[in-house]
Amino acid sequence: MALNRRQFLTLMGGSAGAAVFFQACGIPEKELLIDSPIEMPEDLVTGIDNWYATSCRQCDTAEGIVVRVMEGRAKKIEGNVDYPINVGKHSPRCEAGVQGLYHPDRISSPLVRTGPRGSGEYREISWEDAIGRLTNELQNLEASGDQSQAVLVTNPIGGHLGLVADKFADVFGARRFTYEPLETSVVRKALSDVFGQNAMPDFDIDNSDYLLSFGADFLSTWASPTRYSRGYGEFRQGHDHRGKLVHIDSRFSATAANADEWIRVNPGTEGLFALAVIQSIVSKGHISDSVVNALTGGDSGWLSTYSPENVSEEIGVTPETILHVGEDFSHSNHALAIGGGSAAAHSNGYASVKAIFSLNHVADNVGKKGGVILNPDSPIGGLEAAPSGNSFAEFQRLTEDMQSGTVKVLMVRGADLFYGLPDTSGFKGRSANVPMIVSFGGMMDDTTSMADLILPEHHYLEDWGTDIPLAGVGYELVGFQQPVVRPFFEDRGDNLGTKGFGDVLLAIAQVMQMDLGLNADTFKEVIRESARELYALRRGSINAPTFEAFWNGVLQRGGWWDVNAKGPSSAEPDRLDGISSPVITGSGEFNLMPFASASLLDGRNASLPWMQAMPDPISTATWQTWVEMNHKVAEERGIKEGDVVTVSASGRSITALAMPNPATPPDAVSIPFGQGHRDGGRYSAGRGGNLMAILDAVHDETTGALAWAANRVSVTPTGEWVRVPKFENTVPDFPRDEHNHVIELTSEDAH
Amino acid sequence: MADSQDRKWGMVVDIDRCTGCNGCVVACQSENNIPNNLEEHFNQRRAIQWIRIERYWEGEYPNVKARFIPVMCQQCGNAPCEPVCPVYATYHNEEGLNVQVYNRCIGTRFCANGCPYHVRFFNFWEPEWPESLKNQLNPDVTVRSRGIMEKCSFCVQRIRRSTREGERDEVQVEDGDRAISPACVNACPTTALTFGDFNNESSQVSMMKEEAMANRGKKEGRGYRLLDNLGTEANVIYLKKVDNSAGAVHGH
Repeated sequence: MALNRRQFLTLMGGSAGAAVFFQACGIPEKELLIDSPIEMPEDLVTGIDNWYATSCRQCDTAEGIVVRVMEGRAKKIEGNVDYPINVGKHSPRCEAGVQGLYHPDRISSPLVRTGPRGSGEYREISWEDAIGRLTNELQNLEASGDQSQAVLVTNPIGGHLGLVADKFADVFGARRFTYEPLETSVVRKALSDVFGQNAMPDFDIDNSDYLLSFGADFLSTWASPTRYSRGYGEFRQGHDHRGKLVHIDSRFSATAANADEWIRVNPGTEGLFALAVIQSIVSKGHISDSVVNALTGGDSGWLSTYSPENVSEEIGVTPETILHVGEDFSHSNHALAIGGGSAAAHSNGYASVKAIFSLNHVADNVGKKGGVILNPDSPIGGLEAAPSGNSFAEFQRLTEDMQSGTVKVLMVRGADLFYGLPDTSGFKGRSANVPMIVSFGGMMDDTTSMADLILPEHHYLEDWGTDIPLAGVGYELVGFQQPVVRPFFEDRGDNLGTKGFGDVLLAIAQVMQMDLGLNADTFKEVIRESARELYALRRGSINAPTFEAFWNGVLQRGGWWDVNAKGPSSAEPDRLDGISSPVITGSGEFNLMPFASASLLDGRNASLPWMQAMPDPISTATWQTWVEMNHKVAEERGIKEGDVVTVSASGRSITALAMPNPATPPDAVSIPFGQGHRDGGRYSAGRGGNLMAILDAVHDETTGALAWAANRVSVTPTGEWVRVPKFENTVPDFPRDEHNHVIELTSEDAH
Repeated sequence: MADSQDRKWGMVVDIDRCTGCNGCVVACQSENNIPNNLEEHFNQRRAIQWIRIERYWEGEYPNVKARFIPVMCQQCGNAPCEPVCPVYATYHNEEGLNVQVYNRCIGTRFCANGCPYHVRFFNFWEPEWPESLKNQLNPDVTVRSRGIMEKCSFCVQRIRRSTREGERDEVQVEDGDRAISPACVNACPTTALTFGDFNNESSQVSMMKEEAMANRGKKEGRGYRLLDNLGTEANVIYLKKVDNSAGAVHGH
């Protein structure tokens, strides 16, 4: 007779005795199943889970995800195995989508401001009322012919949402801005000039054997880190020959930590390094004449100005280091160069990044295995990847217009301007001259809390969407985003709760009798109509007899792609120019090397507790703003971990917690972006310092982008000390050997 | 696949692939109903992370390296935590897992003292979530109350669910099936973590273990166990980081 556990315990009359008895007699554990909390009581019925495919919107790469849903609630996010960008993998940020969905501080209905701006005093109104208020303002502008005094600012959005927003602004006549705090416009423009394409290419890190990266923290935050990390894993151990990664950066980033060699260069000289590598390879003749002519404009004489001997001092390395990299790069079978991040965030950013990516022409790897894979155009006409943001210079001009009173209605979606624009832009003060600020934010952030009218949008797990990837995979791909759960605030009724941004714009257009030319009343219908275009192509990943079957197919698999519809296989090199010395402002004694937080990025994820609590890969710090400095320098100055220090740049300052480490260059300090929100819910408001705010207005010469790595700062202890919330030392270290290595951690074997 | 009672679960961790991104850490928090680690929890050194990334410094600027080791419960074959438990809350199951029975645990914390890997975490408080965040909690995993010990379970709920569903549908659970793999393994962007059955000779983990451990002591044998000298017979095999950079100094 098989006893179940409850009967057995009753029989024995005590759990300790019972346990001894179990062990001694070896009753098959299967009969007991005591180890699993889910199967203990006989009367517990496990639920059925469904996994729905959709797109993640935690960062700019819309990775394909599957969401586990039980009884109408989203439980867990994992990578979509089918989806070509991330192939089942996902970044730590993707997981936190469920916390955004169930965040306790979400806004559950439209709000209108009742107190002074920033007071947080709002009153709930109906959607009908809210849309009426906004259309009323827009109609007033229309009546006086001042449509251009309405401004629509969003984060970079592509796909159908971008299309609807663009058409809305265009048909009404509003000015349309795209805002991203850490601008990609420098990299995007350089890439388009070097490879002749507006889209970002794919980098075949997987099959590369020598990867030279400049500034870009591509394993952590840059562009498409999950895709690159996946390639990196194979690059290391997926092939017979282990690839070599050399990282050139002014900061010791997560990518530098994983590199075989980290070459520290002075801030803003990454491009000079790349140009010197090109010069060394050209001078040795390891490159075809046609490429040399295209890169130099026919006369390679000017390039000798940038020989390793001439520029090594400015870069801060020896000429041999550059020559050695040039040798390795030109003698590798599958050399690949990528760059961006801090390398692009200088006054010479564009010229630098252009030189860096031109190394791929030197390696002749475009369209080849282990090289740069170009992307085809979007398979749906008019549907594009998200654009790069407008430059900081353009936003500065916008604030001047605000000052002069020619901005009457400022509509903001996904763009935290009050948080992200540096104080030098004067945005905060000048916003007082804008009569109406409208936010579509689903949660309070520094901008939404200044809005006069809030039209809260759905969380992305409740909404429709599509994505044309920013950094594609080398063939045609359209990601599909679908609601995986019903809206969380559905029970508040149709006239309260949240609504999709696309649907709200369509509703406003309807009220104002604007024809957006989309032939659909709802955002879902807009997407479905486009899907018909895809269906009509009769190719790609979904082979279906009817459109309905096709539609179900794309939603089930999270997208549509055609592995045979590839991009161009070659690109003409573009002529390079010289690179000027970087403009560095401020009189402090340290170069400030800001970086995007691995979890919070530019600050957008700060409201999510899992992201706040995720230890930084390098410092292991959480929940705070810290400043990394060299531990010997810190010791000389009497600064120890946890000392509260004031970091000042050109008269503006923030406080941060000192985190000395052995990897920070002695002449530099590093601070993550992401904290210092005035508002943003219980987990982020009033926490840490906003580094963005204190940056000086230095621009990239070509694009006008904010050169956020071009500041010098001073560091002064305040005399206070607080414990740094960090994971390090939570548990004791593993034992170390005489070289200070953790025992059995590294091997000198190259395979 | 063999009868579920013949299985012996294990993991292989390739440190040469690991980038220290913490993807595994967040995936585990989401899957296993781990309470939000607030700032004060870190400051009290009581943050709960069933899997953690340890970061080690080697050298000084400019010749400096950071090394990352993901550490989770090693599911020891000869576990120091097991014999010390007075109530048999922690014991060894028939699939090689070192399991924790939450409703037996009385919170003596002897097991945490016994564990050389520091992967056991004590609930010093009742776990708390704002009401709306409770919607995310995984119904397959118990929320642990104050006063009891918890640790990595190799996502036993996934093993149970997929085994049960496999029996129901009369299909075998394949090696490497994502339904049975722990959350950290599925998340890892670089495939540094591999999970499977060491008793199945053709499973990927068995083959990796075989290759890594056969050549131990030689250059090509990258395999090792954490604190192997303690004789814990851990079921997590690590593969060493490869360092072929100029001027690197080595651990051996």
